[in-house]
Amino acid sequence: MSEPFEPKIVAFVCTYCTYAGADLAGTSRLKYPPNVRIVRLPCTGRISPMFILKAFQKGADGVLVSGCHPGDCHFDHGNYHARRRWTAFNALLQFTGVPEERVKFSWISAAEGIKFAELIDSITEEIRTAGPFEQYHKLIAETGSAASV
Amino acid sequence: MSIQEQYRSRAKELLGEGSVKMVIGYGVGTTATRRRPIFITSPDETDRLVLDASCRTNLAGYLLREGLLADQKSIAVFLLPDGVRALNILAAESQLATAQIVVLGFEIKGEEVKPLEGTAAGDFSAIIAERKEQRKAQPSHEMAVKLEEMTPAERFAFWEKEFSRCIKCYACRAACPMCWCRRCVVDNNQPQWVNTSSHTLGNLEWNLVRAFHLAGRCVECGNCSEACPVNIPLHLLNGRMTDEVLTAFDHYPGADEQQEPVLASFRKDDPETFIL
Amino acid sequence: MTKILYSDDLTTCFSTWRKEGIMTFGPVQEAGNSGFREVQDEKELDMNLILTSRTLKELFFPRTEPMLSYSIGKQQIETSEFLPSEKPCIIFGARPCDAAGMAMDDELFNWDYRDEYWFRRRSRSVIMTIACSTSDDFCMCTSLGLGPDSAKGSDVLLRPLASGKGWLVEELTEKGDKALQSIASLLKEGTEEAAPTAEVPVLFDLEACTTWLADPENFESHFWKEISERCIGCGTCTYLCPTCHCFDIQDEGDTYEGIRRKNWDSCSFQLFTMHTSGHNPRNTQSARWRQRIMHKFNYFSLKFSVNSCTGCGRCTRECPVDMGVRETLQAISTLQK
Repeated sequence: MSEPFEPKIVAFVCTYCTYAGADLAGTSRLKYPPNVRIVRLPCTGRISPMFILKAFQKGADGVLVSGCHPGDCHFDHGNYHARRRWTAFNALLQFTGVPEERVKFSWISAAEGIKFAELIDSITEEIRTAGPFEQYHKLIAETGSAASV
Repeated sequence: MSIQEQYRSRAKELLGEGSVKMVIGYGVGTTATRRRPIFITSPDETDRLVLDASCRTNLAGYLLREGLLADQKSIAVFLLPDGVRALNILAAESQLATAQIVVLGFEIKGEEVKPLEGTAAGDFSAIIAERKEQRKAQPSHEMAVKLEEMTPAERFAFWEKEFSRCIKCYACRAACPMCWCRRCVVDNNQPQWVNTSSHTLGNLEWNLVRAFHLAGRCVECGNCSEACPVNIPLHLLNGRMTDEVLTAFDHYPGADEQQEPVLASFRKDDPETFIL
Repeated sequence: MTKILYSDDLTTCFSTWRKEGIMTFGPVQEAGNSGFREVQDEKELDMNLILTSRTLKELFFPRTEPMLSYSIGKQQIETSEFLPSEKPCIIFGARPCDAAGMAMDDELFNWDYRDEYWFRRRSRSVIMTIACSTSDDFCMCTSLGLGPDSAKGSDVLLRPLASGKGWLVEELTEKGDKALQSIASLLKEGTEEAAPTAEVPVLFDLEACTTWLADPENFESHFWKEISERCIGCGTCTYLCPTCHCFDIQDEGDTYEGIRRKNWDSCSFQLFTMHTSGHNPRNTQSARWRQRIMHKFNYFSLKFSVNSCTGCGRCTRECPVDMGVRETLQAISTLQK
């Protein structure tokens, strides 16, 4: 039997809400898959689409971007800006054929430890089912092979 | 008097009375149908100006030439409605003051060139508003429709093939009036977010970054697709971004110079359909 | 007696070469853009192109290629080199201007050091060039001392028959001869006439231009600003030039592992000469355009006794703002008189 596929997922989260939510999940002893690598940022407003591209460039199979619910931003409106940015970037990813399951966006507050654990659980499962992000991995592999001519 | 004569004499007048220091327009090119940007500084040279249906290049980008507007003197420039929108965006992004720009506006309908009334960027708001409605009603590009009907895997394969041709000459960036950054994010190496090599991965990354940075700023003038030496359908990416900002935020790029940049503003009730 | 290769035999010709383990390349058209790539058979070729939009140089000097990979461990540093294969190649259907460009760049890549990447590919390849019987508004080979049937840089020259049914075959080098031996049975003897070569008008006086360029007085001439005022500094002319050869070395990866790559670079870019201090010796677009012209028609010829321009015309043909070597040299030509 071959080993089950363990996806690599990178989560870019804001420190005030989603990171605190993840912390709550931990202190509440909730179990969620260890496939997610969390990158903590001050605010979703700081999360540039470049981060998502970088994660994929480094071989991620999926990316989660998460922050405070609208109205809850520590900096008042960072997440409103982020929302517009994601709307455009998400449309672009869809249009260029990046499968919908590879990039997820969510709002998770500091009180939503359960939501965090459940979300990680479900997206890990979804990506595990979809398998490795082969289309992107192929492009990465090509960068390390001799030129075709 | 033909429109070309009319605009030549207008340019002559502006330069002659000293109200502008330069006229940026079109001149004859290497072949009969080619037009090239020209810069006229003397009223005696205005006969070199050409205006016909081949004058398609958006000239707004030339206004940002280093030091050109620094002396506070005015410049006249031939602009299609897209060009006026570009001007509005550049003003909204504090790159220039429209007070310094005299617009020689025209539009092309089929093979016919028509003058547009007005001299200041703000004088063209009616035609731009009309364009917005046209853009909303405009059916998507045939290829864009095909792409939307494809599966994500097919779309990815389509773009992989297109981007594999990219040679990273950055002509799309150089030709774009909106790409005014002194140092493009992809030219930074601390940190280096995307690969600078033109392997397909690097090309995909560059083209995503380019399209995203133009979301809500692109006026769809076509300079990028026209400049691309390997014929990548860049307009499809930009067009998709324009569709998105129009439908999601009712934002028509460059409507006027007071317009807030779409990705640097928000409404609390902005739609969100994909956030978990 | 002349040898003739008939188009009808091209299929057999390609399959013979491929059976011998030779890679076959040629001009292909894809999505409205054309260039050279490996083809399985002759059906993939587009033989009607006057000139491909991308040049032959991509087969010898790809726009990006890995040179070495590195990994740095606690104890040691490991590197491994990438080198192009030595598998033989036949390039069928190059144009004289492109082939000449490869010969010009041989000088450059074998000057202060020998560029193995270039020469491995050069020595394994046979260039079979087809003389031009048509040209377009931008062709200017004759202005550069070449012509629609120049043999420079080619291993075999094929002249289209007047009947359009094949080519007169002329081997020019030993390599070319060898490539023809394997298809010897397909080469028929005959007396058919070749089609007349394209008539490409001479557009400027090259000698007058190089004389003007060589005069130090003209280096700071206002001419440079005027001629390049509309240049937007994209790299199209350099990247589509058969002789432009500048490259950059980039490490892609991190401190511990990565790949060192050789990527095309262009003197049109502001960053090309930007110093770390922020000082830029070529700080205006006109200085960069002057560099491109001076490099081709002065510096290069001082060093290698040849101008590095073949008159393919791509710089003008593809320029988004209708500039190019042609306009500049035509203008200099007039200044001289």
